[in-house]
Amino acid sequence: MLRFILIRLGQAIPILLAIYTITFFMVRAAPGGPFSQERKVAPHILEQQMEYYGFKDPLPVQFFRTLWQHITFEFPPLTSYPGLTSKDIIVDTFPVSLELGLLAMIVALAIGLPIGILAAAKKNSILDYAPMSLAMVGICLPTFVIGPLLALVFGVWLGWLNISGWFSFSDRILPASTLGLFYAAYIARLTRGGMLETLNMDYIRSARAKGAPEFKVVIVHALRGGIMPVVSFFGPALAGLISGSFVVETIFQVPGLGRHFIQAALSRDHSLILSTVLFYAALIIVANMIVDIVQILLNPKLRYQ
Amino acid sequence: MSSRKDIELIPARSPWRDAWLKLGKNRLAMFGLGFFATMVVLCYACPLFYPHSPTSQTLSLGATPPLSMGIELRYDAESEEADEVITVKEFADVYASNAEEEALRIRNGEVIDVDGLIFSKSSRIHILGTDGHGRDLLARIFQGGRISLGVGFIATFVSLLIGVFYGAVSGYLGGKTDAIMMRLVDVLYALPFLIFVILLMVVFEGSDHQLFLIFLAIGAVEWLTMARIVRGQVVNLKNQDFVEAARATGVRTFTIILRHLAPNILGPVIVYSTLLVPAVMLLESTLSFLGLGVQPPNASWGTLIKEGAEKMMVYPWLLFVPATFFSLTLFAMNFLGDGLRDALDVKSSKD
Repeated sequence: MLRFILIRLGQAIPILLAIYTITFFMVRAAPGGPFSQERKVAPHILEQQMEYYGFKDPLPVQFFRTLWQHITFEFPPLTSYPGLTSKDIIVDTFPVSLELGLLAMIVALAIGLPIGILAAAKKNSILDYAPMSLAMVGICLPTFVIGPLLALVFGVWLGWLNISGWFSFSDRILPASTLGLFYAAYIARLTRGGMLETLNMDYIRSARAKGAPEFKVVIVHALRGGIMPVVSFFGPALAGLISGSFVVETIFQVPGLGRHFIQAALSRDHSLILSTVLFYAALIIVANMIVDIVQILLNPKLRYQ
Repeated sequence: MSSRKDIELIPARSPWRDAWLKLGKNRLAMFGLGFFATMVVLCYACPLFYPHSPTSQTLSLGATPPLSMGIELRYDAESEEADEVITVKEFADVYASNAEEEALRIRNGEVIDVDGLIFSKSSRIHILGTDGHGRDLLARIFQGGRISLGVGFIATFVSLLIGVFYGAVSGYLGGKTDAIMMRLVDVLYALPFLIFVILLMVVFEGSDHQLFLIFLAIGAVEWLTMARIVRGQVVNLKNQDFVEAARATGVRTFTIILRHLAPNILGPVIVYSTLLVPAVMLLESTLSFLGLGVQPPNASWGTLIKEGAEKMMVYPWLLFVPATFFSLTLFAMNFLGDGLRDALDVKSSKD
C-alpha cells in the first residue's frame, strides 16, 4: 500500500510540472496584462509596478523564479490584492469552498443513496420509475438554472432565505442544495445500477436462502458491492464540484475560492491564477488517490493487482 | 441464388434496421428524437418565416410578459402609421382614465380616443414576450439555439475525431504504446478541465475567432471518454478472425483500422456522441453563464439564462422561458441517447 501511494505521488510531480508550464505560458499569451486598467496610469508608476512585480525580467527567469516560489511556498505579492499573496487568498477562501462542497456532497448522498437503493430494491415499480424520472430531471437542469430558480422561489417569493451572502447557517442551504441536487440525481442513478448488479449475485441468493431479512440483505450484503460505482464517481465528482462552485459562488455571492479564480482570470492576476490552478490540480490528484485507496479497501479483488 | 425459382427470398434484416425498429418502440426516445429534430428545424429555419428579428429593439416595448399585447398610439386620427407602440402597463400608468376597462376594449379590437390620442391594438405579438431592450424573446431563443446547438454539434464532432483516432490507434497497437497512451488519458481525466477552458477563453478573449475557439476548446476537452470506449472495442475486435485474415493478406494497418474496425465500433460511438451533444451544450452554457463564453451581441441559451437570472425578480419569464427550452432539449437528447443505447445494445459505460 505504501508503495502504491509513493508511486502515485511520484507520478503527480511531472503532472503538476506540466500543468504549471501550460498555465504559465497560457496566462502570458493572454491579451491585456495585470496593469491594463480602464484608467490610464502614469508611465513611471507603471514602470515601477512592472519592476516591483518582476515583469521586466526575461521570461525564462520569471518562469523558474515563479516555479521556485511555488515549490518553496514563498509566494510573491499579488497584483490584484497588493500586500497579500496567493497563500493568503487560498487560506482565507478555500475553507468556504470546502464547506460548500462538503455540504453539497451531504445533500447529494442524503438524497441520492436512499432513492437509488429503494429504486433497485423495488425494481420496475412506481418507487423505481418516479424517483428515477425525477433524477433525470435533476441531471438535465444545470446548476445555473436550479440556482436562480431556488433563489427566486425560496428567497424572493417565499422570503424564507437570503439569496446572497455567507453569514448564518441558513445562507448555506440554497448554495449547497443547488450544487448538491445535480449530484443527488447522478448518485441515485449510479447506486441503482450498482445495486441491481449486486442484487443478482449468488451470495445475495445465499443470504436470502439462509433467511436473512430482506432489509438486511439489501443494506448489509448488497450495499457494500453496490456502492462501488458511487465511490469511483467521487474522483470525477470532485472536479465537477470545483467547476460547480465557480457557478454557485457566482450566483449566490459566496466568498469562496471559485469566485476568486474567475476574478483572477478576468483581472489577469498571473500569480493568483497559477497558484489556484496548481492548488486545484493537487487537490484533485490527492482526492483521486484517496478514492483509489478506498476502492482497494472495499474490493479485495483489486488488492493484488 | 437458389436453384429453385419458387423459393421466395426474404432480404436479411441488417442489425441497423433491427436497432431502428427497436428504437421506434421506445416512446421516450422517439419523443426525444422528435423534439430535438423540431428544435433544430425551428432554430435554423426561423429567420425565414418568423416576423421578428432577434436584434431589432423597440425600447418602448421592453420586458413585456409573454402573450401581452402592444398598443399603438397615434397622435391624431389622420396618421396612417402608429407614432409609438407602448405596453399595456404604460398605457394604464400614463394615459388611461379607466385602465382595466379600456385595455379590455383595446384587446377586443376597438379603437379608443383618450384626450385626443388614438389607441388601438398593435398587430405585433410577442408570443414569449420581450427582453429588457424590447427584443422578441422567441427570436432570441432561436438565435441562441443556433449557437448552442451549433457548439453541441461541432464540438462533439471535434471530440469524435480526436477520440476515435486516439482510441483506435492505442487499442490497435497495444502493448507499451497502449499502456502509455491510456495512462495519459487517465491523467488528463483527473484534471479540472473547466479551468483550462476558462483560461483558454481568457487567452483568446475578444478575438474574432472566439466562437470557433469555444468549439475547439470544448471538443479538445471532451474526447477522453470517447477514446476509452473506442479503445475497449478495438481491443476486443482486433484478435477476431476476420481482422487476422486481413492482416495475413497484408492489408496495411491504417486500412484495417478504417475498413474493418471502424464499422464495428460505430454503435457505441453513435450512442456516446448522442449523449455528448447535451454535455457539450451544458459546458458551453456554463461558460456563457460565467461571462466567459459567447459574447454579445451574439447569444446562446447560456447567455439568455444569465440575463434572465439577473432580472428574474422583476421579469421571471426571462429566466423561465430560456431555461425551459434549454432543459427540454437536454432532456430530449438524453432520452434519445438512452434509447439508442438500448436499441444498439451497447453495454453502458457509466451506469
